[in-house]
Parts: sequence; structure tokens; C-alpha cells
Amino acid sequence: MANMLWLQGGACSGNTMSFLNAEEPSACDLVTDFGINVLWQPSLGMDMGENVQKLLRDCVSGAIPLDIFVFEGTVVNAPNGTGTWNRFAGRPMKDWVKELTAAAQFVVALGDCATWGGIPATAPNPSDSKGLQFLKKQHGGFLGANFKSKAGLPVINIPGCPAHPDWVTQVLVAVATGRAGELELDDLQRPKTFFKSFTQTGCTRNMHFAYKVSATEFGQRKGCLFYDLGCRGPMTHSPCNRILWNRQSSKTRAGMPCLGCTEPEFPFFDLAPGSVFKTQTMMGVPKELPEGVDKSAYIKLTAAAKSASPAWAEKDIFVI
Amino acid sequence: MNHMANGEDVLRAQIASMLKAGLETEITPFPEDSNAFAQLLQRIREEAGSVLEKKLVIGGFTDYPMGEDQQRCQECMYYLNHRRWCDLPELDVPVEPDWWCRLWHI
Ligand code: SF4
Ligand code: SF4
Ligand code: SF4
Repeated sequence: MANMLWLQGGACSGNTMSFLNAEEPSACDLVTDFGINVLWQPSLGMDMGENVQKLLRDCVSGAIPLDIFVFEGTVVNAPNGTGTWNRFAGRPMKDWVKELTAAAQFVVALGDCATWGGIPATAPNPSDSKGLQFLKKQHGGFLGANFKSKAGLPVINIPGCPAHPDWVTQVLVAVATGRAGELELDDLQRPKTFFKSFTQTGCTRNMHFAYKVSATEFGQRKGCLFYDLGCRGPMTHSPCNRILWNRQSSKTRAGMPCLGCTEPEFPFFDLAPGSVFKTQTMMGVPKELPEGVDKSAYIKLTAAAKSASPAWAEKDIFVI
Repeated sequence: MNHMANGEDVLRAQIASMLKAGLETEITPFPEDSNAFAQLLQRIREEAGSVLEKKLVIGGFTDYPMGEDQQRCQECMYYLNHRRWCDLPELDVPVEPDWWCRLWHI
């Protein structure tokens, strides 16, 4: 039996909602089949008021062993470093976070806000928000770059806005069943099993990407969304086209560009007007090219691919 | 289909003759970044709508490749190679591979 405690800081609850939609395993399966004991969770916890305070104090003191601490949302530090804009169970949430992360065997940051600061930490970051161990790309965050939980791992980052339910449940199962050692983390502390490949891996529009045929409107079934509509699929580490959403689809399959929500810079360009759903260009060439491709190669490739593109690539090949 | 293809050919020939006759189009400035590009599209939507000549003028069409890099429709992201068509919704016109306009984009 592994005790799990889940708290929310500066968050929209999106990751909780996503988690509650989990299937195979579902949130209930985690309890019945995988021995996860949910001590408290904002949408599932039965206790209120002083009972929650006591539970948290017992976790901090070790009276209740805390195996997994999941944090969703940013650590709010405003105003003036006091964190009182986000109070919980009688004190600033950030004070609980400090003590609970020190007591936990494993710490999981869930969603962009908890990992990198996400939308709340976007400039000018009025709530002085930080992620647990990062602030955007900068290592450190609220807990500092050297933080390790009791089991010796840094914060396990599961980014996403929100994270896919399977990313969460599978990491929780690995930790609860003693297989945390198998979780290889990348430089941004994300489990490689989910975040080594790109959103583009498995995208149904790859042939249009290859033949340089552009989708020019949302929802179009023909064309790739990279050239005009700002798709970040080739630069974003996520399994969104391998592990489908609702087991059905993904943004790009539905004709909606990937926004790059698993990367620390999300939302990109601080949401400046004209920067969303629009490929940023400089003299007609995309400013950001697919990872590993340089500009002159890109131009040559475009010329070659365009002239080689077959007639079907210009038509809607999907028949209902 | 043939009828449509013929219609497209007729329109392409009409555009070719307008350009050959020296239609003065706004070939500069080239929209340097995405904002300038978006503004130009907005202008086409507002000022040209579906009026062909205005689209060509504001788009800055030429019937030859442009600049050192010899930019042309053939490599542009909006060019449909087989249909010889500009698929940018604001333009949506038949073109030739060696033409150019200032919405060129790869
Ligand atoms: S739509 Fe996006 S993810 Fe799909 S092939 Fe194009 S760039 Fe890649
Ligand atoms: S497709 Fe992109 S924006 Fe959408 S969930 Fe996946 S990584 Fe995030
Ligand atoms: S946008 Fe301009 S350069 Fe590109 S295909 Fe259309 S007319 Fe040609």
C-alpha cells in the first residue's frame, strides 16, 4: 500500500479533471488493483477543516508515511514572498509544499503549472508563481536545483496543459509498485517513456508535412498545420499521437495545431497578439524549424518536396 | 471537372495577360514578420474581397521569380503543384510556377 497525497496550488484543476477521466487503469483501479491509498485529493478527499490540517501535519511529522506527494498548480509566492495569496489549511500553501516535499519518498509535479509555472508564471507573473523545480526553462524553481526527495529522485515532472490521464496513472503505478527506478528522466525531469518522441510522431498529417502541403484553415483534413497555423508538433516532446486522447484522437488529427504544451516555454511568446495559431516567420521562412533541421537544408528540402509531391497530397483523401 | 479545369485555365490566362500588360502591383514592402503578413492579409480581405485585380495589386503579383533567391510560387507553401493554384484562402487564384507575390512563404 502506497500513501498518496495530492494538493493544488495556483491551478485551474484541469489535471484533476483529466486524472478523473483515466481509464485502464482508472482512478478507482489505482486504489483497488494497485494499492494506492489516496490520503487526500481536492476532488476526492472526504475530510475537511481541522481533519485535513491534522492529516497534513501527520504527513510532515512522519506519523503517516507519505510515499507519493502529487502537486498540481504553481507555488504562489506573492505578495512579497509571503505566499499568502494562496492559503490552504490555515497557512500559505507554499509552507505546506516545502514541508511535504521534504517528507515524501517521491514528489510528482503534475501539469505545466507545477512543472514550469505554466500560464500563471507568464510575464508579468503577478502571483510570483514558480514550478516545483523549474521556472520556465530555468532549473531551480521553488525547491531549488539540488532538491531530491527521500527516495533520491528529483521532482518527477509530468507536464501538459493538462497532462493526459495515462501519463499520470502510469507514473503513479510505477512508483506505487516499486518500479520508480525504471523511470528514466530527460534533462527536464520528464519520464522519457512519454516525452522522448514528438507530437509529430504518429501524426496522420506526416505525409503532408513531407510533401509540404499546408492546411490553411482549422479542421481541414488536407495538409499539415506546421507551415501556416503554428503547429509545434515537430518541436514538442509528447506522445499525443501515440497515446491518443480519449483513445480516439489528438489535436492535430482534428485539425488543430499542437501548442507545445509539454515544453517549459508554453505559452510561447507570452501570448503576444498574433503569436497564437500562427507560424512565426522572418522573411517568409519559419523562425523555428523542426528539431535538428537547419535553414538552408529546409529551403532545399522544400523545393525538392514541393516538386515531388503527388496529386493526391493536394486533395482531401479521407472519405467518411 | 473538365469544365472547372477549363475555367481555371481561362482565369490563369486572364491573369497572365493582366500581368504582361504591365499591371502595377505593390511588390514592396515584403512582409518581414508574421504580424506584417497578417496585416497584409487583413488588407486583402477588407480592400480586395473577391475583386481579382485588387487581389493581384495588393498581393504584389509578378509573372517572374523574385530577388536573389529567385523566390516563386513553385516552392511557396500555398502552391498546389498539380492544380497550379494558390491555396492561400485570401488569394485563391490560379497561378504559374514561375510567378511570385509578396505573401510568398515556405
Ligand atoms: S500537423 Fe503538426 S504534428 Fe502533424 S505532421 Fe504537421 S507539423 Fe507535424
Ligand atoms: S497536441 Fe500539443 S498542445 Fe495538445 S496536448 Fe499534445 S503536446 Fe499539448
Ligand atoms: S502566396 Fe503568392 S507566391 Fe505563394 S503560391 Fe500564392 S501567389 Fe504564389
